[in-house]
Amino acid sequence: MVGIMNPVSREKLASLSNSVKFATDLGPKLELCRQLKRDLLEEDAAALSEFLSHIFDLYSDPSGPVRKLATEIIGEIGVKHLEFVPEIAPFLITVLEDATPAVARQSISCSIDLFRHTLEKTAIQGLHSSELDSDLESSWSWMLKLKEKIYSIAFQPGSGGVKLVALKFVEAVILLYTPNPNGSSEPPPNEGTPIEFNISWLHGRHPFLNVGDLSIEASQRLVLLLDQLRFPTVKSLTTSVIVVLINSLSAIAKKRPAYYGRILPVLLSLDPPSFVIKEVHVYGANNALKNALLSCLQCSHPSAAPWRDRLLGALKDMEAGGLAEVALNQVHKVNGSVEDEKDHSSVIKEEKPMTKACDAAGSNVGRKRSGTEDSSGLAETGDVSGKRVRSTPSVSEESTKELNRNTSMSQGDISSAQSTTRKVDVDTGPVQQLVAMFGALVAQGEKAVGSLGILISSISADLLAEVVMANMRNLPPTHSHTDADDELLEDMCIVGSNTQAKYPPSFLVDVVSLSSTFPPIAALLNSQQSVPNEIVKTEVGEEVDVMAGPNSTVAYAGMAHEAENALLPGMEKIDVPTPSDIQDVGNLESGIPGLDSSFHYDGLSDAQAASSLVSTDLEDTSQEQGTSFGGKSPLHVLPSISIERSEELSPKAAVNDSSGVVSSTATSVVSSHPFVLPKMSAPVVNLSDDQKDDVQKLAYIRIIEAYKQIAVAGGSQVRSSLLAYLGVELPSELDLHKLLRDHILSDYINHEGHELTLRVLYRLFGEAEEESDFFSCTTAASAYETFLLAVAETLRDTFPPSDKSLSKLLGEAPCLPKSVLNLLECLCSPGISEKAEESQSGDRVTQGLSTVWSLILLRPPIRDVCLKIALQSAVHHLEEVRMKAIRLVANKLYPLPSISQQIEDFAREMLLSAVNIDAAEITDAEGLIIESHKQDSELEKPSHEHQSVSSTGKDISAIFHQSETSQSGSSPSVPEAQRCMSLYFALCTKKHSLFGQIFIVYSSASKAVKQAIHRHIPILVRTMGLSSDLLEIISDPPTGSENLLMQVLQTLTEGTVPSAELIFTIKKLFDSKLKDVEILVPVLPFLPGDEVLLLFPYLVNLPLDKFQAALTRLLQGSSQSGPVLSPAEVLIAIHGIDPERDGIPLKKVTDACNACFEQRHIFTQQILAKVLNQLVEQIPLPLLFMRTVLQAIGAFPGLVGFIMEILSRLVSKQIWKYPKLWVGFLKCAFLTKPQSFSVLLQLPPPQLENALNRTAALKAPLVAHASQENIRTSLPRSVLAVLGLSPESQPSSQVQTSQAHTGDTNNSEKDAVAEISKESSGAS
Amino acid sequence: MKFRYAMVCSSNQNRSMEAHCLLKKQGFDVSSYGTGTHVKLPGPSLREPNVYEFGTPYKHMFDDLRRKDPELYKRNGILPMLKRNLSVKLAPQRWQDNAADGYFDIVFTFEEKVFDMVLEDLHNRDQVLLKSVLVINLEVKDNHEEAAVGARLALDLCEQIEAVESWEDSVDDILICFENKHRRKLLYSISFY
Repeated sequence: MVGIMNPVSREKLASLSNSVKFATDLGPKLELCRQLKRDLLEEDAAALSEFLSHIFDLYSDPSGPVRKLATEIIGEIGVKHLEFVPEIAPFLITVLEDATPAVARQSISCSIDLFRHTLEKTAIQGLHSSELDSDLESSWSWMLKLKEKIYSIAFQPGSGGVKLVALKFVEAVILLYTPNPNGSSEPPPNEGTPIEFNISWLHGRHPFLNVGDLSIEASQRLVLLLDQLRFPTVKSLTTSVIVVLINSLSAIAKKRPAYYGRILPVLLSLDPPSFVIKEVHVYGANNALKNALLSCLQCSHPSAAPWRDRLLGALKDMEAGGLAEVALNQVHKVNGSVEDEKDHSSVIKEEKPMTKACDAAGSNVGRKRSGTEDSSGLAETGDVSGKRVRSTPSVSEESTKELNRNTSMSQGDISSAQSTTRKVDVDTGPVQQLVAMFGALVAQGEKAVGSLGILISSISADLLAEVVMANMRNLPPTHSHTDADDELLEDMCIVGSNTQAKYPPSFLVDVVSLSSTFPPIAALLNSQQSVPNEIVKTEVGEEVDVMAGPNSTVAYAGMAHEAENALLPGMEKIDVPTPSDIQDVGNLESGIPGLDSSFHYDGLSDAQAASSLVSTDLEDTSQEQGTSFGGKSPLHVLPSISIERSEELSPKAAVNDSSGVVSSTATSVVSSHPFVLPKMSAPVVNLSDDQKDDVQKLAYIRIIEAYKQIAVAGGSQVRSSLLAYLGVELPSELDLHKLLRDHILSDYINHEGHELTLRVLYRLFGEAEEESDFFSCTTAASAYETFLLAVAETLRDTFPPSDKSLSKLLGEAPCLPKSVLNLLECLCSPGISEKAEESQSGDRVTQGLSTVWSLILLRPPIRDVCLKIALQSAVHHLEEVRMKAIRLVANKLYPLPSISQQIEDFAREMLLSAVNIDAAEITDAEGLIIESHKQDSELEKPSHEHQSVSSTGKDISAIFHQSETSQSGSSPSVPEAQRCMSLYFALCTKKHSLFGQIFIVYSSASKAVKQAIHRHIPILVRTMGLSSDLLEIISDPPTGSENLLMQVLQTLTEGTVPSAELIFTIKKLFDSKLKDVEILVPVLPFLPGDEVLLLFPYLVNLPLDKFQAALTRLLQGSSQSGPVLSPAEVLIAIHGIDPERDGIPLKKVTDACNACFEQRHIFTQQILAKVLNQLVEQIPLPLLFMRTVLQAIGAFPGLVGFIMEILSRLVSKQIWKYPKLWVGFLKCAFLTKPQSFSVLLQLPPPQLENALNRTAALKAPLVAHASQENIRTSLPRSVLAVLGLSPESQPSSQVQTSQAHTGDTNNSEKDAVAEISKESSGAS
Repeated sequence: MKFRYAMVCSSNQNRSMEAHCLLKKQGFDVSSYGTGTHVKLPGPSLREPNVYEFGTPYKHMFDDLRRKDPELYKRNGILPMLKRNLSVKLAPQRWQDNAADGYFDIVFTFEEKVFDMVLEDLHNRDQVLLKSVLVINLEVKDNHEEAAVGARLALDLCEQIEAVESWEDSVDDILICFENKHRRKLLYSISFY
């Protein structure tokens, strides 16, 4: 197969490459390229050599991705077939110049692969033979050219993205050119073995690859890299370049520790804030630097060791102290410089959390402390800690010793190193010469920096290291020592503490970790060794003080650990000791933590006394103790620390109650117990998780029990914080929460339940809010919710409604989750949940509402939600609930400007819903439209989040509606309408302009809604009184609202005198818009009489009942001014109406008359007489005059005499000329016979005749009457003739004319008679 | 889409999946990972988290938790989250074990710790390809709400990055622009495959 190209594949490849060339779309083109690549890589060298040019052609493609892919293909071919390098390398060099950065980067990316393989091949071939084939040699020389080209890119300024990769290339070459200390220094026995290439294989026996030269080149390149990071070059770099440089250099330092000493100074002197111009990304570079330094710190190579301290210092400055400590521990572990390494490593797993705890405490303190910088600021927690510190001058001395011992350990390393260098410099003169040369250069100062750099870069790293080591000897011993000390002191002090002692963090970490591991020892030791331990207190004291000092809760952290640590073994041994048991246990007793002791000796003496006691002891023994500890491993010292901590803390646990006795007993114990420390074996008992849980739980129960008893002692603030902390902090917290809750709720008031609850809540809340991982966040949040809800429910269920605890709790809790709000909602709107809580009294509602009110005032963020709850309650179906809520909303909440709009909107929406539901249900009985409508109206709500509150309410109301409507047809019931509208009405009383909406709604409202409105109006209007807003509404009522307007006016005028404005407004309205006189009725009594008279026709035109009402008002008048019109005036006014002129049906007028006559107590005989007297004088006579006369007779028969007078006056007024009245006259005469006979006889003969003709029934009695002698004589002859009492007959012509005269009116007269008779029958 | 994206948080559940889901919807070539040793989900208490191995299907977790306490896990949002996740991919993946997934151009982390772990892991790999990778840390608090916010921010940033020819040349500008726009601090580093 070799050398012979398979024709098929060749054809295929050719067509493929052609189709690539001619493909136009990028997608398919790339796909073809990939296929080509796959195919090509399967081909052998010969085939490829033919084909290579085709692929080079591909590179001429205009699109970047294709060129990139072509480059990639070529690169891979090169790696596979190194013999093509002489062709490929020039190609890659051209590609480096490509305009598209991605292509250029691809070229570099290919180059490094190619370079590595070529180097490897060259090297290995050189190992096996002294002659290399020329192909390889030329490949290598091409690769060198390529490398130089990339170097130039890497080190030329600018050129962005390509530069990043080029720098990386430099790093890769440096790594290739330098020996890997961890790699194998011998080449693999057979070539095929996949093993990482190591330049040290060469051993100087290669024809042209010289290890030394390569190393020098690597050095030079490294210098160039380093120079980039030096000032001022670094200023011109972009952050990304800096990041890459830092990463690369740290990688080199890590992989080639020989360069450690050259790279680190540069990294350490980097100060990102000073060189990054675009400030925003300082921390980007900073972070890279931090990570770089951390990774350097982890390097275990000996040449890295001297840098550790400086690294630590730098990291501390960068606030990565915690990580550094961890890293350092790992280093210690690796180096084995700590004696107790075995123990140490066994606990190393536990160490991390502990360190974290310390860090947390430390940082916490740091934060809290900023306010109270000096020790006097600690006074808050009592003078205890401050005093102790001040009264122990020996502390610093002691600590220095400790420190010395510690530093001597690390110096061990150095001294051993020194011994080796000493050996070296005996052998090597050049090193000493170099030292001298360096010395001379350094002495020249600044100007020699350049030459110094050259010198450094030109010697090999190992040599340089030797120089440095040799120079160590020249350093003044004291200086180096103190220098180191200073550094330690400065760098390793955990917090700026009050004591002068400062400790290497590692030491502290050890201390903490060990004390946590050996609580049993601690427990046992305590009784025998407490005084010597006081020494150590100063060490831990620093930590404990700091923790306990500014922030008492931090102290509890220690406390918590302590309790945990010390309780475990104790409890294990003696089942579950109750406080009384402890006394019997003897020695172990003091092993049970300070808490117990303080509990027992509670309140016996004061803490200051205790501490002074202790400190005296301390002074006495410290000196001796210090020396005795000097040579021992930390292990011996450590166990005591935990005890110390417990003792330290015990007085703090009850700040005011002291444990003076504890310490004094402790001292006395010491005197009787000699040291038995070295013989102690640690009874470590491994507990299962369940056992631990049990123990912790039992411990907690005891603590809670204890709290119940010491409640009287005071100091509750601190103690409840502690209890809350314990409850939350200890694991398996669900149960503890419950215990704590039970404790709180068992006696909420006496156990300061509120304060304790709040503390627990705040702690849980803090945990939930803390920037921690997902699951602890969520867990804490859910624990918080459960806790708060449980307490709130209990408060609700157990306390009387008048109690304010619930309100207070909800007001002060850090946040209110939804479930709690639901609880509140149920409280405010009973029956909203499925649970039947009908037993709930109205007081509960009041409680809920007042809570809501206070929440609205106190917690702006949840104001909306709370408001929803209140509003929901304000449209509750139970009137009692509703009225309470409305009172709250209208009186308390509505005046708040921030929420008034929202309240208004809601009320309006409800108002409209009452009307619209109605409308909707008429069209759609299913009520589907309601829903959609509601959703529309929902939009105006500001937040959808809390929609649930209102929407639940709506659903309920919708359901309510439907059930209502199913009973009562298509409109909501009156109560339902009231439910929806009450709130709005209540708001109207606060803001009168809202009232207008009711007028608008009114016209389209259903009967039930109208009814509901009418029911409300009197109260509403009376409350509102007359305001300008109301006047405005009245002045322009929407059409359809007349009835409402009437009611409003009636209410307004009821019992009071309406203001002139109101009267004016109404009159204006009547004149302009509303012609209905009805609206004037309410104010009639207050109008002047003449105006009323003008209006009278309109009044008469009203329906009868309304007229009667108006009449009553008129006659009654107002209390001040008396009647507007007298009854007589009224009757006269009625008679003054002309049906034709005024356009009022006669019927209305007669009705009006009848109405008057009905009120006989007002329209009395006298009044009628007066009226008739006046009417009869009118010209022309009123139309209804005779009718009224007739009615008057009917009503008051006693008036007959008076009527006769009237009739005779009518005769004199020639009544017969009024045909209508004439009929009435006759009728009257007929009715009043026989009294009327005399009047009839006064008629002129023709009229008499006419009368008798019309009323035949009159004739006979009249003739009889006239026949009487005395009368007959007085009658003229003509009359007698008419009566037929005289023989003379009348000339017929005259009769004829008179006949004719009356004849034309005959018909109408008949009508009138008929009419009148009809009327009178109706009236009587 | 020019670049391949990876979203990384600690458990490959909340923040990275939120972003994964969002970017996937927008058509990005995106994967997601966690850097933790296990997948930890909240349990009934802090002490009793639900711990799964990476590679355990989301569906499995979903069923498991639903069986254990549907009420609790629904309330704290775990079940809905898992449901979302199982619609995105099969199972949580671990960043440190993703060598087979090829190289990414952009890696998003949502926590500095994770950022450091990703970088450390990248540094520990054999960097032979010289293929640059941009690692960006966007600090996002680990709860549902913040995760949603973070995902939107990540999407925004991805769109910015996608818009340029090569991020290597303009990463600083893009990030500064982003920081000014959203007032969020970013941390980034460049590593190589």
